[in-house]
Amino acid sequence: MIEFYHVSKQYVKNQFALYDVNLNIEKGEFVFLTGSSGAGKTTLLKLIYKEEEPSKGQILIDSGNINLIPDKRLYRLRRDIGIVFQDFKLLNKRTIFENVAIPLVIRGERRARIEKMVNNALSLVGLTHRRNYIPEHVSGGEQQRVAIARAIVANPKIIIADEPTGNLDTELSIEILKIFERVNTNGITMLVATHDKNLLRVFPKRVLQLEKGRLVSDWGKEDAP
Amino acid sequence: MNLLRISFGNAARNILRNKLISLLCLGIIAFTLLIYGIFEYVSFSLDRVTREFSRSIEAIFYFKDGSDRQATEAVIRRVKESLLVQKVVYKSKEQANIQFGRQFPELKHILKEFNRSPFPASMEITFKPEYTLDTKITAFIEELERLDPVESKQVNIEWAQKIITVKKFISLVGLFLSSILLFVSVFIIYNVIKLNILFRGEEIHIQKLVGATNWYIKFPFIIEGAVLGFSGSVVAGLFLFGLLKLFPTYAAFMFELFKGMVNFQTVPPALFVRLVLLGTGIGLFSSFFSTRRFLRQ
Repeated sequence: MIEFYHVSKQYVKNQFALYDVNLNIEKGEFVFLTGSSGAGKTTLLKLIYKEEEPSKGQILIDSGNINLIPDKRLYRLRRDIGIVFQDFKLLNKRTIFENVAIPLVIRGERRARIEKMVNNALSLVGLTHRRNYIPEHVSGGEQQRVAIARAIVANPKIIIADEPTGNLDTELSIEILKIFERVNTNGITMLVATHDKNLLRVFPKRVLQLEKGRLVSDWGKEDAP
Repeated sequence: MNLLRISFGNAARNILRNKLISLLCLGIIAFTLLIYGIFEYVSFSLDRVTREFSRSIEAIFYFKDGSDRQATEAVIRRVKESLLVQKVVYKSKEQANIQFGRQFPELKHILKEFNRSPFPASMEITFKPEYTLDTKITAFIEELERLDPVESKQVNIEWAQKIITVKKFISLVGLFLSSILLFVSVFIIYNVIKLNILFRGEEIHIQKLVGATNWYIKFPFIIEGAVLGFSGSVVAGLFLFGLLKLFPTYAAFMFELFKGMVNFQTVPPALFVRLVLLGTGIGLFSSFFSTRRFLRQ
């Protein structure tokens, strides 16, 4: 599903944000990406949804080389990926319903279908009762759940979450991860970046560890951590 | 269809969100197009006046007293043969005398004091409308003036030529002013769209990340530019209409000449359509280039 072949990324000369990374994530897998701050987690995620281009190497999604996708076709790749950001990236002037509906609106879905799909997504994250609120008027945990609802609403093949629990306490973090597990049971591939070791213990999944831009370990595919 | 509906919705939201900037932009476009419209209208009116004037362009040639009849007839034949001439009417001294008596009966007693008609024989030439402003006519008139039986001439072609010169001058001034103001309009719409793009940067970024096409993002801004241009041109058209109604009432006494030449009736539909097309075109052009510059992937 997601394949990296000798992928490197350099922002400045002689400094690698990622160096010679090789990995393969199967369809429907739940994978944690961990490492200290500055290890290259965000860069690796950005390469997947092509917000950044690799300096070297090839990235394949669904066996297609994403390096070859021209800018005007980029939307096709991104419609297969749901992204959850640490800072939520919600529109504060729009209601929660409208925020979650964005991926469907840009696809030109009909109003009735949007209504149904957004309600399903909000129900999955337990926010149906907040649909007419604006993000500023709900808690941080709820805002993160809105971001998750937006990521899953259009049934993507992959969900990428960049430190989705970075701003939340342990209890809320576990709640968010449980939502991800539920989403994963529908066959959606999950790639979650976190530096929270507690979560890795509570949710025994495959863990990719980055250090200074290098993939230093890949464990848990069969064994729990 | 859906994209169009969403784009119009987003464009309307953008315009309403920045009411002041949108109003300012609309005002400048309207002012620009009003200036353009005024010059176009004056030029259009002068064109019409010139056309009407040229239909009645005449030259009257007076013959010398006692000139040879055969020579006079030769001149008339020469005139009749010319392709430039529509009609030629010879008027003898007696006919001129009778005509004067009819036109000014109160002066008939003066004529009685003369033994014979004091008026010269003449020929009135009406030129074909398609040649009236042609330089060939001037040459033809000069040629006739040099002929022996001809004593003097009276031609009203100079007026038409003067009007054409004024029209050319007004058109040039209008073109110059309009070009500057149109450039200002393009610059302003370009920057209003730029501001809106920057203002909505976060939203655009999110839309891109969740899979919006380039056109989905660009289109509302292009529509916004077109709506601003279109609205500005309609406002300009309405102002022009108002101006034409008010001018004769309040300012015509200062511009008596204009009052005679410009038909202060209504905005001709063709001019209104031109204004609207120009305004919408400016909006589309400016917003298209603004999105090209500021919405790169």
